[in-house]
Amino acid sequence: MENVERKLPLECPSCQSRLRVQKMHCAECGTEVSGDYQLPLLARLSDNEQKFIIEFVKSSGSLKDMAKSMGVSYPTVRNYLDDIIEKLNEYGQ
Amino acid sequence: MDNKKSRFEIAVNPFIRIAGGKALAIGLAGMLLSAIVAISGDVHYHGLLHYGPAVNNAWWTHAVEVLAVWLVPAVLFYLGGRLRSKSQIRAVDVFGTVAFAQIPLLVVNLLMITPPMQQMAELAIDANNIGQLLADHQLLVMSTLMTLLQIPFVVLMLLWMVMAVKVSCNLKSWALVVVYAVGIIGGDILSRIVISYIV
Repeated sequence: MENVERKLPLECPSCQSRLRVQKMHCAECGTEVSGDYQLPLLARLSDNEQKFIIEFVKSSGSLKDMAKSMGVSYPTVRNYLDDIIEKLNEYGQ
Repeated sequence: MDNKKSRFEIAVNPFIRIAGGKALAIGLAGMLLSAIVAISGDVHYHGLLHYGPAVNNAWWTHAVEVLAVWLVPAVLFYLGGRLRSKSQIRAVDVFGTVAFAQIPLLVVNLLMITPPMQQMAELAIDANNIGQLLADHQLLVMSTLMTLLQIPFVVLMLLWMVMAVKVSCNLKSWALVVVYAVGIIGGDILSRIVISYIV
């Protein structure tokens, strides 16, 4: 069970609303913090989008380098980034 | 971002992998070959979606036609992209992908220079030959077959044109439909005007 990679669910499986954080817990001492918190902006993106942002930062924001390393065209990478920016703007409002 | 695209996805949308200067270079090479084939068989583009025989067969008319059929829709797509896209679009991507999207027209030209299509073009240029044309059943069947074989390549060209606008201008849904329709229909009408004016 420990080796299974578990994904953080972002949407309610029942009504598809965005999930919020209610409880956090320290694995070392068992302290629990509860409340009602929003997920951080970047955590609301999909796994692929988060991976893309990490690659973007790692390549110092060079879309050309990213396009080369990913084996896709420059506008494909730019479009993907623009779609993420639009999503972030939407979430930020 | 899923960069493990299948061959089918790449065939439908080659611009996931190729755009910009590379697409432009390959597209221009394809257009050059297309023009050479057109010169050898007197195949003329009267517009983006209209081709066949013409009276003026000078070599430069083919060059003008190939350039008009590429540049007119590309300019319309570029202007549409500048107006409707939220992305910073690059001219080299729009002109490159549109040039690449016209590669299937090379196959259309090759089919147009096959003997049945050439015979058909010679007869069709004069309305008095209609009787002779209808009497030659073998020619009719073969030229119909050659015409039908062209359809998938024209469809592929139109499909690649959609993908060219979609990728190079980052357009989706209605914005994509409108810019594409203006580029193709407007491009056909405008390129016909340009070609008839110059040629």
